[in-house]
This record gives sequence, structure tokens and C-alpha cells, in this order.
Amino acid sequence: MHGHPTSSGRFRRATTLIRSLVAYHPVLFTVSMVGAAVFAVCTVASSWLLRWIIDEVIVRRFDDDEFSLSQTLTAVALLMGLSLIRACGVIVRRSFAGRAQWRTAQSLTDGVVDVLVQQPPQWQREQSTGDLITRAGVDVDASVAVMAPLPYASSVILMMVIAAYGLISNDIALGIAATAVFPLLIALNVLYQRRVDRWFDIAQGELGSLSAAVHESFEGVTVVKAFGAENRETERLAVIASRVQSARIEAIKLRSLFEAALDFVPNLTNICLIIGGAFRVRSGDLTVGELASFIYMFTLLVFPLRLIGYALSEMPRSQAGFGRIQQLRQSPIVADPRKMSHHAGQSLVISSLSIGHDIDHPLTHNFSASFAPSSFNAIVGYTGCGKSTLLQTIAGTIPPLQGSILIPDSSICLVFQEPFLFGTSVRDNMCMGLNFSDIDLSWALKVAEADFVFQLPQGIDTLIGERGVGLSGGQRQRIALARAIVRRPRVLLLDDTTSALDPNTEISVLNNIRTELSDTIVIAVASRPSLIGMAETVMFFDVDEIHGPTSHVELLIQSDQYRLLMQAYEKPESASDDQVEGVQG
Amino acid sequence: MTISTGGALTTLNKGVRAVPSLSQGIGLTIFLALIGSSGRVVVPVAIQIAIDHGLQRATSGNSQDVDVALVIKLCIGAAIYLVIAGVAQRTAVSRLGQRSESALYELRVQLFQHIHLLSLEDHNDEQRGSLVSRVTSDVETLSQFFSWGGLAYLLNGALMIIVSGVMLAYDWLLALVVIFISAPLVYVLRRVQSRLVAAYDASRLANSQVLGSTAELITGGETLHAYSAGQIFGERVKQSAKSRGDAQTKATLIGALLFPSGEIFGAFSVSAVVFIGLWRGAESGLSAGALVGFIFLTYRFLEPIAELTEVLDQTQTAVSGMRRILGILAIPVGPPAPQYPISIDKGPLDIRVENLSFSYRPRDGESESDQHNVLHGLTCTIPFGTQVAVVGETGSGKTTLGRLLARFSDPSVGGISIGGVPINRIANEQLRKILVVVPQEPFLFSDTVAANLRFALPAATDQDLINAFSHVDLQDWFEALPNGLETVVGQRGAQLSAGERQLIALVRASLINPDILILDEATSSVDASTEVRLTRALDKISQGRTTISIAHRLSTAVRADRVLVLDSGVLVQDGSHQELVTRPGIYAAMFKSWEASHHTSE
Repeated sequence: MHGHPTSSGRFRRATTLIRSLVAYHPVLFTVSMVGAAVFAVCTVASSWLLRWIIDEVIVRRFDDDEFSLSQTLTAVALLMGLSLIRACGVIVRRSFAGRAQWRTAQSLTDGVVDVLVQQPPQWQREQSTGDLITRAGVDVDASVAVMAPLPYASSVILMMVIAAYGLISNDIALGIAATAVFPLLIALNVLYQRRVDRWFDIAQGELGSLSAAVHESFEGVTVVKAFGAENRETERLAVIASRVQSARIEAIKLRSLFEAALDFVPNLTNICLIIGGAFRVRSGDLTVGELASFIYMFTLLVFPLRLIGYALSEMPRSQAGFGRIQQLRQSPIVADPRKMSHHAGQSLVISSLSIGHDIDHPLTHNFSASFAPSSFNAIVGYTGCGKSTLLQTIAGTIPPLQGSILIPDSSICLVFQEPFLFGTSVRDNMCMGLNFSDIDLSWALKVAEADFVFQLPQGIDTLIGERGVGLSGGQRQRIALARAIVRRPRVLLLDDTTSALDPNTEISVLNNIRTELSDTIVIAVASRPSLIGMAETVMFFDVDEIHGPTSHVELLIQSDQYRLLMQAYEKPESASDDQVEGVQG
Repeated sequence: MTISTGGALTTLNKGVRAVPSLSQGIGLTIFLALIGSSGRVVVPVAIQIAIDHGLQRATSGNSQDVDVALVIKLCIGAAIYLVIAGVAQRTAVSRLGQRSESALYELRVQLFQHIHLLSLEDHNDEQRGSLVSRVTSDVETLSQFFSWGGLAYLLNGALMIIVSGVMLAYDWLLALVVIFISAPLVYVLRRVQSRLVAAYDASRLANSQVLGSTAELITGGETLHAYSAGQIFGERVKQSAKSRGDAQTKATLIGALLFPSGEIFGAFSVSAVVFIGLWRGAESGLSAGALVGFIFLTYRFLEPIAELTEVLDQTQTAVSGMRRILGILAIPVGPPAPQYPISIDKGPLDIRVENLSFSYRPRDGESESDQHNVLHGLTCTIPFGTQVAVVGETGSGKTTLGRLLARFSDPSVGGISIGGVPINRIANEQLRKILVVVPQEPFLFSDTVAANLRFALPAATDQDLINAFSHVDLQDWFEALPNGLETVVGQRGAQLSAGERQLIALVRASLINPDILILDEATSSVDASTEVRLTRALDKISQGRTTISIAHRLSTAVRADRVLVLDSGVLVQDGSHQELVTRPGIYAAMFKSWEASHHTSE
């Protein structure tokens, strides 16, 4: 094993993995190993017991034709006693191995959670969400998968050593012949696992794409129906389903072949042992009991050998999973941009600020602005001009590329356009770990025009999301608004938060915020004219410069682009105004 | 117990009727499995014969009398039989697996077809997840069952029959003793297993909670950061990770009891065999070899019991999976295809709606916009080429009217005809060429712009697609796309803005060149420049055909030739914008409040 550089490297990597995993809960693992050792010793002992029973009890009974009650009872008692100890060994081994495995999984999950909690959003933005979820879930499971069969595999190796010694010391030739089959069986098992797993992995991958395609096809059923494409879609999905099917069939073919081979090899070995045994018995080197125990011993080891193959085939997956978790845990913690903002004064003051995700391509460059206390401000601009980025920079979700922002104090709330609600109660979604009284919560819900919450089955304690009630986009936006409102922040940032509300509700919400949170600086990204109409100042992101904050009327004079944009918004109305006047005239 | 078995058998029968290939050739497979399993008793039998006939004199102390030739002959015979049994077993396993996978593929395709044909009511958001899991995880439980459970029944069932047969042939009394002592094992295993299944369910639930809360920690990262709640929610994940650890520890403890119980029953049975065998001695016709062989057979007899009880739960899972699948297949498909379709001639097609009423089947957890969407006795005629806007409050029935006009559902009472032909007599293929719907949230497949457009017309050339953009005045927008037709739109078109998705949906619909276009307007706001493009494209696309807009914005009504106003499912006003806006009524009131909200100056 050591002569080969790759296999010795593989061996070293495997031991490193095992050592790192065991280090989490060494005591649990050790107890399990003790149980495994008891199991191994008892298993070998049971084959010796069988030999003794055959030779000294059964054969003697039939030869001498004399029934010895005491001897028979001794045999039975030993059989039962040994089984009992062996069973205890199994229970200790399995339960402690499981405990070690799952407590280790827990420790790994905790480690991943610590990283996720400490890293700010800009770090998360650089990672793929799917990849992070995989590391926290699948990779943790994969890492510990190798732990459960480990004590068992060790006990099988221990058994093999004792048994090989027993077999060889009993009869050198037969012993060596039987022992030689063990590595062959292990190799066959490992080969089987690797090859069949490949097909199972392919099938699993195809199943994943099938389920994505099915989900998409059913989700777009209106379009499918609109174009009468039902049959076409069925055919498309059938092609993917047939790939699942053929991968499975390949796996099944391999499996049927290997299963038959894995049954055949030990059976054939047994048959050979009987022939070899016949010669040894004739030469007087072996008793019939020894031969039977020989075969029994051999048979006992066959099944465990299959699990060794399983454990060994788990190794690469565990290594990959554990490696990915370690990589995540060792990634340096990115500084939290919120700790870089300054608190002073009553206004929100932006000085020579550049924002964006890339210093070479800032979305806005070196601009300054000031938002007065208790003011209601709108931000207007085309898609992708940096409106949302500005709000996120003010909120401290994204660090500024350059410049600084002066905020009255740290009580600042940002409400996203597509708000995230957690799969828990409305109350928990609003409190987010803080404590608010029912009075405060209802007040905030009323301000956000989210009275529908009181009509939900359990009111404010209704679970939302997958396991609770489904909410519309507008309802989600209003709960997210209430979450910010209940904190009575000094600065409230609304990133087109009312886009899914109908115009009347939108106006009520904004009016409520204005009257109820009269001390708050509100800055809202506006995509509808109604919000612009309410704002005291408007900030306009033009293609290459930023206008304002100043009044709407002032901006209409200042910027041609702004005027054009406003005309685009109001076009339908101006047409209707004309028509109305036409009718009246 | 008998009831559930009966239920399982009924389900199985229905399943076989739905997919007949499931049971094809099963007889031969069972026969091969019997031969294959008989290979497992070759070694114990060979040992017995070898001891009794080849080695017997050795037992009497005279080792020179061992009949080696007989043992060799015996072993060669056994080896040949092992080869035959091995081949038979291999064939049986492979046949079962291949047959079942092919049958499950057929079942899947049948489900795809059926689900696509279900009416839209059966396709709401709440149902979607379960429809997807019918064709994925439920079919998977069946696949799992056939490749492990079904196989276990086949091989272990065969093995138990053969082993007990051989045991009875050796010594019926000892055989009965073994069967009698092992019987309680079935009970014990069932008890432990049902607790194990419950424990596994608990740990799976705990695991999904860990995964769910971790996913929230990641996807909700910005929100958690904004509210400084990362630590608190992180603690929750750790708490659920701890509960998962507890649940899994419990499950492994119960699992750890499973194997030893078989072991202990094995020890009981073997002890009984040894005791009774020794006590009765040779007078009963028993030999040393037979007794030793019997001990080996006893171990072999107990193996399949453990495996068989283990697959009982898998069987239950598979049966309930099958039941759920059959439940889907039992839902009648959406608007049924006409038995005797009438072909319509192309030409000016008027739409006639007569006494139309509709009520949804009640269902739990309906989304806000779907509630009380009932139409009452709606009658009107829409001449070809009219631009119609249907307006009304949320829940007034306008979306439902659109669905009925598109024949996504059939009305409860009344009917719709196009060009004089009742809509339910028009073949679906023809209807979809005459009438196209642009849904509220136009769905785009996670593919290129070209692929999404070709969804309407697979035969369209690249030039056709490019022309379609210029026909609706979207050439400039198309040219700005990063990769032209090959631009990838992302999942559900997420790379594009909501307005841009609507643009693509309009171009897609225009490819069909339908006589009637039904537009379900989006409620969400669109940025101003896209809004301008949309309006322009809509104007273009409306020319020379009937368009019916389910309008959420009154600006659409202003532009239309005719406005239908619905209130609680009743057609209350019908006329042009100019007529309705001056007449006191719902429309005038709606228009007034809408106008107020769309002005920048107060």
C-alpha cells in the first residue's frame, strides 16, 4: 500500500479526514470503537464455540449415542450468553457511532452558521446562494457519512485479523486460501460501489433536471395552454425522463451482475473449502467440527465485507464535502460597512460619495447631497441607474466606494422592493428578535395598511410561507413596511416598496407614514408619479449627473430628461384630460 | 390490518391497470428468482451430505476412510448448480429492475400529459408543488420500492420458501420448532421498525427544518443584516441543528436494537435446534451432518425475515405514493376536447357571449385575487376588430371572463361562440391559432429569447423572429439586447425586468398572428421607458384584430373602443370611455380616484 505514491497519498488524506472528524467528539467515537471490538471478539468466539459444539457435543452424541444433559445445557448457555454479549456490543457500537456522527454534523452546521451570520451581505452577494445552501446541507451530511460505518469497518478488520490467525493456525493451507478471498471480496465491493454509484449519480442528476423542467413546465402552464403546446411539453419532459430511466437501467444491470458475483464468490469458496477440508480430514489434520467452524467463520465475514466496500466508497464524497465546509469556515470575515458610517447631527448628509460594486465602474461618482430632518424625499431615475444601490449604501448593506455618509443615529431601516419574509409568524417577522408590545405592532400594521393581518386565522401569530398562509406581493410588502415602521426609525429607506400595491392603498400608506412618523427622514425610490407628488424634494438620477434633492417643480425646469420622464408617466392622463375636456366642451 | 392490505391490493391492481407493462413477464421473473435463491442453500446441503456420506468415517475415528472422490463429485455438482443459480438470479434482478423502470417511465409520461391537460383551476400556486412531487418524488418512491423492496420480496420470499422446504425435508419437527420460535421475531421487528420509521420521520422533519432555516439565513441575509438579527436567527438554526442531532441520535439508538433482536432470536432458535436435536439423537433418523446443516439453515432462515419486515414500511410508502398518483390521474382533464369538432373559416370572427355564469370549485387557501370570482349571466357581442377593455375591482370577475373566453375553463352556465361556432366545438389546435392569451405575469422559460419566442411557433426562422420585433416597433429594444436572439433570460425571465418580459410575451403572441388577442394586464408597475414601448407595441399588435384587455390600468380603458365594467361578476356598464366617464356610475368613480393618484401635483 505504501509503495504506491497515489494510494499512500489517498491513505494519508483519508486518515486526516477521519482524525479531523473524530476530534469533534472523541469520547463518543471511542465508546463506539470499544463496542465494535467486543462485537468482533464475540463473533470470532462464536465460531470457536460452534466448532466445540460440533466436535465435542454433536458428533460425540451421535457417535456414542449418549445424551449428556449437562453438556447440552452448557452448549446452549454458552450459545445464548455469547449472543447476548455480542448483541450488547452491537448496540453500543451502533448507537454511539450514530451519536458521534450526528453530533459532529451538528458541530459542522454550527460552524457554517457562525460564518453566515458574521459575513455581511456583500460577501454573500459574491457567493452563489445555491452553493452556500449546498455547503450547509448536503456537504455536512456527506462529511459525516463516513463516520457511521467506520467502527463497523474497524471491527471487521479486527475480526479478519483474529479469524485469519485462527484459520491459518488451524490449518495453514486452507487458512491462507480462505484469507486470500477477503481482499478479493473487498476489491469487488469497492469496484461495485464506485461503478454503480456513477450511474446512480447520473440518474440523480437527471432526476434533478427533470424536476426543474417539470416545475417550470407546470409553472408556465398558462403559456403552454395559450399556445396549445401540451403535447410538445409532454414530449420534452419525456426525453428527460427517459434519461433518468436509462441511467437507472444501467445501474440495475451492473447491480444485478455484481450482486450475483458477490453471492457466487463466497459460495464457491465454501465449496472449495469442503473439498480441501475433505483432504485435510482424511490426513487427520482437521476435525469435522473444525471444518464446519471454518466455513461458518468464513460465511460470517462475507456480509460485513460488503459494508467495508460501502464505507470505502463513501470516503471521496466525505472528503469533498468536508473540504468545502473547511474552505467556507476559513474564508476571511469581510468588514461590516455599517461600522464605517458616522453618526452626528439631525440631517442625513452625503459628501463626495461614489457608489457601486466595482471601484472602476462606479454607478455614481463623487456626489454630495443633504436630506433635511423630518423630510419626505423621492428618488427618480431609469432602471439600473443606482437608486437601489444608494439606499443600500446609506443603510450600510453595501460599503461606499468613496466618500462618507453622516447619519443622525444608527436607527435606520431599509425596506426592499421584494421583501424577504421568514417562514415564521407575522409577529416574529416584525420583531426580528426584539420585543414590541401588541399595541405597537397593531399600530405599525395599521400605518402600513396591513389590516388584513388581523383577519388571518391566528391574527398576528399566523405562520406565513411554506407551512403557513400564502401572501400576495402587496401583502408581503406591507408586512415588511410594518416591520420597519414599528421601529420608528430616524431614517426610513423605501426601495420601491409600494410597487405591488394598488394606487389608492399606496397613497394611504405613504400619507400614514408621513403623519405617524413625522420625525423620520423618508427617502423613497419612486416608480409612480403619485409618490413624486407627495415628496418635498426629489432627487433625479440622470444619465451622467444627479439633480437635487430639490422640489419637483424646480427639477422640471432644471432637467430636460426629468421633464421627458414625467411626460412619459403622465401621457395616458394628458390624453384623457383632453378627451374629458372635449366631451365637456 | 386486513383492511389496509385489501386497500394496498386494490391500489396495486389499479396501478397495474394504469400501467399494464408493470406485470408483464412477472411469472418468468419469479421462476428465475426461485432458482436463483435455491443457490443459497447449496452450501449447507453440501456440507450435510459431505459430513454424512464423505466424511462420516472420520467421525468414527478412522480418518483413512474419508471418501474424497465422493466429496469432489458432490462439490463439482454443487459448483455447477451455483453457476446456474447465479445466472438465474442475475437475470431475475435485471428483469425486475428493467421492467419496473420502463413501466415507471410510461407512468411518468402519462402523468405529464394528464397534468398538462388539467384545467387551470387545478394548477393554482398552492397545488403546483404537489403536482411536481407526484411526477418526481412519488414516482421515485415506486422506483425505490421496485429496486429494493420489490427485489427483497422476490429474492427473500423465494429464499424463505426454499429454506423452509429443505428444513421440513430434513426434519419436520426441528423445522416447526425453528418456525415457531422465529414467529415472534416478526412481531418484535415490526414493533421496533414502526418506532424506527417514526424516529426517522422525526429526524427527516428536523433535518428539513435545519435546511429551511439555513436557506432563510442565506436568502434573507440582507434583511437580517439590515435588522441586525443575524445572531438571533443563527441561534435558531443552531437550535434546530441540535434538535436534528437529538432526533437522529434517537433514531440510531432504535436502529441499533434492530439487528441484535434478530441475533438473539437466532441464538434462541439454534439453541433449541441443538438441544432438541441432541436430546432426540439418531433414533429419530437425525444424523450429525443433518444437525450441523440444520444449524446453518436456521441462520439462513432468519436473514430474510429481518429484510422482509424492513421493506414492509417501504411498501406502505410506495402504496401511498401510488395512491396519490392514481388520485391525480383520476382528476378529470380540463375543458374536454370536442368529440365532433367544427372547423371555423378564417375571416372576420365575432365573439358572442351568452348568459355566461361561472363559479369556482371551493378550495382551501385560495389566493386573494381568486376569491369569489363568480360571473352572473353575462351577455354581449364583440364584433371583429374591436378593442375592448374589461375593467372592475379586484374580484369583480374580469380575470375569470378572460379565462373563459380563452377556454381555459368552461362556464358553469351559458356559452361563448366565435364566428358562430361554440367555443367548445373548436379543436384545441385550431382555437390556439385563432385566439392567443398573454397572461398577467407572462411566463418565460429559463432559456434564450429565441427559444421563448419559438415556443409559440417552433418552425419560425431567426429572420421571422427578428421581423416580429420590428412589426411591433421594438427593433431598437431588440438591438439593445446583449446577445440578440441568443440572450439568456434567466429563471422565469429574471434577467429581464417585468416590463421587458411583457414585451417578449407580446412578440411571442404576435408570431401566431391570431384573430383574437386576450391581454391580461400586469398589476405591477413598469418603469416609464418600458411603459412607452409597451403601449406602442400594444397599439401595433392590436391593429386588424379583436383585442380584449383585462385592464388594471384605466389608461388602457381610455384607449379602447369599448369598455365593459364588471362589478361582483355582473356586467354593469358597457360603452366607450367618453360615454361612461360622464355618466354617474362605477366607471366614473373609478376613473376619478385613479386620475387623482396619477398626478404629481396635488
